[in-house]
Amino acid sequence: MKILIIEDEKGLAESIVDYLNKEGFICEVASTYWQAHEKVNVYNYDCIIADLTLPDGEGFGIIETLKKISATTGVIIISARNALEDKIKGLTIGSDDYLTKPFHLSELNARLKSLIRRLNFGGSNEINFDAIQVQTAARKVFVAGKETTLSRKEYDLLMYFLSNIEVALTKVSIAEHLWGDNIDSADSLDIVYSHIKNLRRKLLEKSNKDYIQSIYGIGYKFVNP
Amino acid sequence: MKLLTKTSRIYLLFSLAIYLITGFAFYWIIRSVIYDEVESRLQVERQDFEAFMKDQESWSGSCYFVENKIDVLPVRQRAPITEEFKDTLIYNRYEANSDPFRQLTFYTTIGKLDYRVSIRKSLIESYKLIEVITLAMLTFLGLLLGSMFWFQRTLSGNLWRPFYDTLAKIKGFDLTSSKKIELAPEKITEFNELNEVLKKMSDKMQHDYRSLKEFTENASHEIQTPLSLINARVEQLIQSPELTSAQTYWIDEIYQASRRMSRLHQGLLLLAKIENKQFTDVEKLNFTELAISKLIDFEEILTIRQLKTFVVNEGPFIATISPSLADILLSNLLNNAIRHNQPGGQIQIKSTSGQLCVSNTGDKLKTEPERLFERFKKESTSADSLGLGLAIVKQICDNNQLQIQYTYVEGMHQMCLLKTELVPEPKSH
Repeated sequence: MKILIIEDEKGLAESIVDYLNKEGFICEVASTYWQAHEKVNVYNYDCIIADLTLPDGEGFGIIETLKKISATTGVIIISARNALEDKIKGLTIGSDDYLTKPFHLSELNARLKSLIRRLNFGGSNEINFDAIQVQTAARKVFVAGKETTLSRKEYDLLMYFLSNIEVALTKVSIAEHLWGDNIDSADSLDIVYSHIKNLRRKLLEKSNKDYIQSIYGIGYKFVNP
Repeated sequence: MKLLTKTSRIYLLFSLAIYLITGFAFYWIIRSVIYDEVESRLQVERQDFEAFMKDQESWSGSCYFVENKIDVLPVRQRAPITEEFKDTLIYNRYEANSDPFRQLTFYTTIGKLDYRVSIRKSLIESYKLIEVITLAMLTFLGLLLGSMFWFQRTLSGNLWRPFYDTLAKIKGFDLTSSKKIELAPEKITEFNELNEVLKKMSDKMQHDYRSLKEFTENASHEIQTPLSLINARVEQLIQSPELTSAQTYWIDEIYQASRRMSRLHQGLLLLAKIENKQFTDVEKLNFTELAISKLIDFEEILTIRQLKTFVVNEGPFIATISPSLADILLSNLLNNAIRHNQPGGQIQIKSTSGQLCVSNTGDKLKTEPERLFERFKKESTSADSLGLGLAIVKQICDNNQLQIQYTYVEGMHQMCLLKTELVPEPKSH
C-alpha cells in the first residue's frame, strides 16, 4: 500500500509516516503544493492524506487534479479548519474522509484502513486476527468460529482495536473515536471503561483469551496473548 | 409612515386650510361689495323719496314705488336711531315664499306727523351671484388642489425613487456573501453622495468581515498544527515499551493538557464564529424532536450516571437557526444537565410551543445565576469542565432571536429556551 502524505508541518508528517510504516504502509511525504502536484502526476498512490492549508496553495487543488488522473485513489483530508463548508467542499470534490486537527494517529490509521477496505470492496472483506474474524460488509463478528453479537459501539471499538493492533490507545482517543467531539471526552471516559469491560467479556467467553490489555494510566492495547 | 405619504398628507392638509381660508375671505369680500352696492342704492332711493316728499308734501301708497319696496308707517315717537340697515325676509305673494331683502329704515316728518320709512331692495340676484361665484371658485380650487396634489406626488415619487432603490438594495445586502453592493450613479448630488458613502461603508464592512474570518481560520490552523504535533509525538511516545509508571503519569498529563487546550481553542473559535455570524445556513427546526433524539445519543452516559429522563411534550418548539448551531446548543444544554447532576438524579425535557426547558436535579448553585453564562465561569472546580458550554449556549441564543433563562424550582435547575419577541420588519414599499 503506497500512501502520499501532504503536510507542511515536518514533525507531524514524520509522526504519521512512523506510525503508518509500523502498520506496513509505504509512505511518501510532500510538504508543498507543487511538490505534491508533481508527485500526484508522476506516481500512483493507493491513498493520499492531504492537509488543506499549504504554504503555496490550497490542498483542494491537488485533490481535484488527483481525481482527474485517478478517480479510485482514496483521499483523507486532515485540516485544522472545521467549518462545515470546508468539509462539504472537501467531500464534494472527491475526498472520502475529513479529519479535523488535532487528531489521534490511531484514529487516522483506523479511518485509513476502513477507507482501504471500502476501496477494495471486491476483494476480501474479512479481517482475521487470531481467533477473531470480522465480516466488515455484513458487520458480523465470529470468535473461535462462533458468531458473537456485539452492540454498535462494541463493534466500532473492536474495529478500532483491530486497526491498531499492538498499539497503545489512549482512553481519550477511544472515547473520541466512538462518540466524536460531540460528547466531552472527560465525561465519556467512564463509558469507555464499561464498553471495554463488555467487549473483553464477550471475547473471553468464546475464545478463552484476554485480548485487551490495560496500560496503567493511559489506556488499552489489543494484543495476541 | 412612508416619507411620500407623510409629505403628501402635510401638503394636502396645508393646502386645504389655505383654500378654506381663501374661500371664506373671498365669500366675505364679495358679500361686502354687494352689500355696499345695495346700501348705496338704498341711500339714493332715500334721497329720491325725500325729494319726492318735498315736492308732494304727502304720501299716497300708489306711487311709482312698487309693492313691498317701500313701507311708510306713522309713529307716535321716533326711535333714538336715525337710520338702520338690516337683512329681512319679505313674503312674495306671487311665488308664495319669502325672499331676502336689504332694508333701510329711517324716520322722517311728513306734514306735522312723524313717519317711519323702510325702503327695501331684493337680494335675490346678489345671492345668486354669490352662489355662482362660490361654486365656480370651489370647483376651480378643488381642481387646483387635486392636480397639485397629484403633481406633487408624482414629482416627489420620481425624485425619491433613487432613494427607495438604494434602500431596497441595502435591505438585500448580505455581509457574509462576497457579492458587492451595486449602486448606480444618480443625477441628484445628495443621492449620489449617499450611494457613495453607503458603497464605501459596505465594502469596508465586507472587507473587515473577510479578514476577521481569515484571521480565525489562520489562527485555528496555526494553533491546531502544533497541538497535532504534540498529540502525535505523545502517541508515539506511549508506544515505547519501557515506560515507568512515573513517566506514563507525566505523559498522560501532557496529553490531557494538550487535548484540553485544543478543546478550549475550538470552543473559543466557535464563539468567535457565532459572534461573526458565520453560520448562515438557517432552517426552521423542531427543537423538541432534536432534543429527544439527542437523549438517545446520550443514552449510554445516562445509564452509567444512573440518570432518569422524562419528556413532557406539550407541543413542538420551533425556531429558525443553523442546524449545526442547534446541535451544539442542545448538546451543551444536555451535557450541562448531565455534568451537574447527582447519581440517580433526573433530567426533564419539557416542551411547549413557546419554550423548551431542560431541568436537572443537582446541588444548589454556588455562584450567582446571572454569572452562569459568562465565559470560564465554572460551577465545578474539576479540570474536566472548560467553562465555555453555557457561554456558547448564550452566544448562540443572542445571535438567533432566542433567549436562555435559568431558574431554580423545587430542587431542579431549569434552563429554558424562549423566543425573543421579534421586532416587526418594516414593510417594504
